[in-house]
Amino acid sequence: MTNAIRKTRLPVSVLTVAAVLGAAADVLAQACAMCGSALSDDPLGRAISWSILFLMAAPYTIVGTALLCLVWIHRRAAGRRRAASMELAALRPATAGEPSGGGLS
Amino acid sequence: METGSLVMPRRVVPLARPDEGQAVSNARLAMIVLIAGESMLFAGLIGAYLVFRLAARNWPPPDLPRLPLGLTAANSVLLLASGFPMGRALRAARRYDRQRLARSLGQTALLGSTFLFVQGIEWVRLVRHGLTLASGTYGATFYVLIGCHGVHVLAAVTWLAVTALLARRGAFIAGRQAPLEMCAIYWYFVCALWVVLFPLVYLS
Repeated sequence: MTNAIRKTRLPVSVLTVAAVLGAAADVLAQACAMCGSALSDDPLGRAISWSILFLMAAPYTIVGTALLCLVWIHRRAAGRRRAASMELAALRPATAGEPSGGGLS
Repeated sequence: METGSLVMPRRVVPLARPDEGQAVSNARLAMIVLIAGESMLFAGLIGAYLVFRLAARNWPPPDLPRLPLGLTAANSVLLLASGFPMGRALRAARRYDRQRLARSLGQTALLGSTFLFVQGIEWVRLVRHGLTLASGTYGATFYVLIGCHGVHVLAAVTWLAVTALLARRGAFIAGRQAPLEMCAIYWYFVCALWVVLFPLVYLS
């Protein structure tokens, strides 16, 4: 008797879960209330669509702008360092016996 | 025997600042992160405003007062004009002109305070005419969005006033201008925010 119950437990559980999911399929297909109303063509739906678009674009715009700022600051600093080193090299007095430039040649 | 002559002369090594040599200083990086966070806060508020604004059939509702466009436009000019003394302050800091730096910062803070004062007058008039936080979505979105910006301007003006006092004492000498630059970046951010908010709330 006990074995018979154990044998039937799994199929019954699977069928129960399938029945519950099947009954709830319509609800699951609607996703969330926001998307549901956004798909409709009334003013509220259009407003939510525009708002979703705006909020979706905002992080990309902000992070992109921040990255551009960082790249600009980095390039400017590199340019300043290069200019300073060239200025320093120009100010350095040429001493006798020292190659005037060109490194190992 | 003189032992002093055998001692090697001590070489003076200048102390390097922790972020010296970095292209992007820690302070600047922190300011970029702060501004990105603040921008997302305002993006959320603007998103909520867009939902109410675009969904409404009548905006503003017929029974509520209109926003004072002329006064706020003049006030906006004041806020945007405050960017010029701020730029002058930065140039004065680079030239180590302490007097000019403190004066320019004071002028910027004064313009910001005037903006806040005029905003306060405008709010009092609107409340007297019946536009409160509880007057539907119109009042709620207006006060939350513009009030949030006002709080940021207040914080920036306080920061400017403290920076002006420090500048008067000569705090921003050579190589120590990072706090001043951070203050300037925040002030420009607050001004740029108004460029977005003013047409959105008052002109749309």
